[in-house]
Amino acid sequence: MEQESVVQYEPVAEIGGGAYGTVYKARDRDSGQFVALKSVRVQTNQDGLPLSTVREVALLKRLEQFDHPNIVRLMDVCATLRTDQETKVTLVFEHVDQDLRTYLEKVPAPGLPIQQIRDLMQQLLCGLAFLHSNRVLHRDLKPENILVTSRGQVKLADFGLARIYSCHMVLTPVVVTLWYRCPEVLLQTTYATPVDIWSTGCIFAEMFRRTPLFCGESEVDQLGKIFAVIGLPSEEEWPNDVTLSRQNFSPQNPQPITDCVPEISEKGAELLLEMLTFDPLKRISAFNALDHPFFTE
Amino acid sequence: MSRTGFCDSRQLLDLHMTEDRQAPLRVWANSCILRERRVFAEGDEVGSVHHCKPAQESRWVRRLSISAEDGIIMDYAPQDESDVYEEEALLQYLNRLPGPPSLRDLVPGLLRREVEVAISKLGLLYDQTYAWDIFLDMMRSQLLCTLPNADLPKPFTDTTRAILVDWLTQVHEVFQFSEETLYLAVHLLNRALRLIKVSISGLQLLGVVCLFLAAKKEECLLPEVSELCYLMENTYSKKQLLRMERRVLIGLKFDLYYCLPLHFLLITASIARCSDKWVWMARYLLELSLLERQCVVFLPSQLAGAALRLARRILQEAPTPDGETAWCIASSIHIGSEAALLSIMQIMAMAAARAHTRETRATFIKFSTIQTLHVSMHPALKAAPGFLGLSCPRI
Repeated sequence: MEQESVVQYEPVAEIGGGAYGTVYKARDRDSGQFVALKSVRVQTNQDGLPLSTVREVALLKRLEQFDHPNIVRLMDVCATLRTDQETKVTLVFEHVDQDLRTYLEKVPAPGLPIQQIRDLMQQLLCGLAFLHSNRVLHRDLKPENILVTSRGQVKLADFGLARIYSCHMVLTPVVVTLWYRCPEVLLQTTYATPVDIWSTGCIFAEMFRRTPLFCGESEVDQLGKIFAVIGLPSEEEWPNDVTLSRQNFSPQNPQPITDCVPEISEKGAELLLEMLTFDPLKRISAFNALDHPFFTE
Repeated sequence: MSRTGFCDSRQLLDLHMTEDRQAPLRVWANSCILRERRVFAEGDEVGSVHHCKPAQESRWVRRLSISAEDGIIMDYAPQDESDVYEEEALLQYLNRLPGPPSLRDLVPGLLRREVEVAISKLGLLYDQTYAWDIFLDMMRSQLLCTLPNADLPKPFTDTTRAILVDWLTQVHEVFQFSEETLYLAVHLLNRALRLIKVSISGLQLLGVVCLFLAAKKEECLLPEVSELCYLMENTYSKKQLLRMERRVLIGLKFDLYYCLPLHFLLITASIARCSDKWVWMARYLLELSLLERQCVVFLPSQLAGAALRLARRILQEAPTPDGETAWCIASSIHIGSEAALLSIMQIMAMAAARAHTRETRATFIKFSTIQTLHVSMHPALKAAPGFLGLSCPRI
C-alpha cells in the first residue's frame, strides 16, 4: 500500500544531479502531467521519522496552501520504507522545462531588454518576499533553481530543501557552487534572510551580463573576487567571530558597479548595490526591494 | 446577548468568505498585481502598470490604517515605513472626509490595532509588522481546518472517540506538553480516522501516533517511543508504532497544519480585556469541545467565540463600560452565523453540565485545580444549558 503512490509516477528521464541527489522527470499516470521527483533518504532511528523532516515537509505543504504564483507547486509527498533504518521521502513538484540559466543562454546578442529584467526581478522578489515572510530561507538561490515558464512566469524551486537534506543525507561529493554565496556564509558566521538577497543581487547582475558576476574557485577566492568589486570592508564592518582575518585580503576601494554591469540603468545600479552590501543587516530586504524606484523608473 | 457583526462586520465577512484564494499576506497583494500584469507582459506594454496600484484587498487594509491614524487613536502602532503612498492617501482621505469619522469607520481600524497588540502579547510572532497579515491568514486558513461532516467511520462511536481523546489528554499531561499539542493531536486524529482504515484494536495506536506527530511539530522534547508503548501497556511494539506513524503521515500527505481555536480564544480574550477567570472558564469549555464529535464541523474561531460567550454568560461578571466596548470590538472577529454559535454553545453547555459525572473526566479534573481557578467546579455550570433554553441533564 505504501508503494502505491510512487507507482503513480512513471520516471521519464533523469534531469540533473542536484547537490542533494538525482532529480527525475516523471509522468503522473493519472493526469498525464509531467512532474519533477526529488527524493531524500532519511535515517529512521528509534524515534521514527526525524522531527526536522516532519516539520520541514509540513511547512512546504503549508506554503502550498497559499498557491503563490512565483513558487513551484508541491503536488504530492510520498514516503516509502526502504529498510527498517531508512525511509525514502519523495517530493513531487510541478515540472517546468526551463530554468533561468537556459533562459539566459537562449537570449540573442544585445541581451535582455531592461523591461524584461524588471519583470523577472519583480517576480523573483515577490516569491522571495513570500518565503521570507513565512520564515523560509532559500539558502541556495541560483539561476538553476529559478524556473521560467514558457509564458515568462518565474517560479522559485528547491527552497527549504537545504534544511531537509543537510541533517540526514549521506553526503554526496557534488561540488556546490560558491558563485551566489554571500560573504557571511563564506566567512561562516551566522546568517538569515539576507543570504537570499545577496544571491538575488548576483543573479540581477547576471541578467544584464549573461555571465556570472563572481566566479570564485574557493571560499577565499570567492571573497577576493567580491571585494575586488565592492571594496574591502572596513575593520569595524568585519565580523568578530570568524577565523578568516581581514589581513588575508589586500586593501581595495569599491569599483563603480557599472564597470561590471555596463548595461544597467542608474536606478538599477542603486538597487544592485543595496543588494550587494557586505553587512547583512544593512542589505535591503525583499519587501523594500520591491518598492525600489528601479521598478517604477 | 451581544450581537456579532457590531458596526458592519460585513466587510470582514466578505473578506474572509468570498475570496477564493487562500493567501492573505501582503506579499499576496503584490503577486496579485503580478498576475494581472501577466496579461500585459505577453505584449510589450510593461512599463505602464506599476505596483503603486494596490490590489483590492490591500487597499482596504491600507484605508483602515489611515482611519486609525488620523489622530483619534493616539498610540497606533507604527506602520511599515516603506509605505510611501501613505501620506498622499491620507490627504486624499481627509479631503473626502465630510466630518469626524463615524464609529462605523473606526471599528475596523481599532480592531486591527487591537489584534496586532494581542498577537504580539501572545508571542505568536517575531515581527509585529506581520501581525495583521498573520491574523488575516488565520482567518482564511481556518476554512481549511474543518471537516465536512461529523460522521465517524463504522466501528467507532461517540463513546470510543471520547474515551480515546480523554486518554490522550491524560498522556498529554503526563508529558507536560503545551496545550497547542493537544489541539493539534485531536485534529490530526479527526482527519486520520477518515483517511486510514484501522480496527478498534488499532484505535489507541492511531491516537498515540497523532499525539506523537503533534509533539514532533510543536514540542522541543520528544517522548521516547518505548515510553509511549509502555503507556499502552506494551500492547503494541515499537515497530508497529513507527509503521503507524508512516501510514498517518502518508495518509495526511504530511499536512500537519491546524489553525488553533486556542489562539483565536487568546487573541479575542486579550482584545476583550477578559478577566483571568473568564479566560480559564473559556479554555475549559473549549477543551471540553475536543470530546464532542459534532464540534469537528465548526470553524476554530467559532469554537473560540462560543467558548468565550458561554463563559461570559456563566460567570455573569459585573459589566463595566470599558469592558462592554472591548467586548463589542472583540465580538466583531467572529464569522459565521448566530445559529452556528448558538449550537456550539449548546453543545458546550451540555458537556459542561455533565462533565463531572462522565467517565471521561481528564479535562474536568485538569481545570479543577487552583492554577486554573477551579473553573470546572463553578456551581453555575450545572445550570448552563438552562441559559440557552435547554433542559439540564438529569444526574
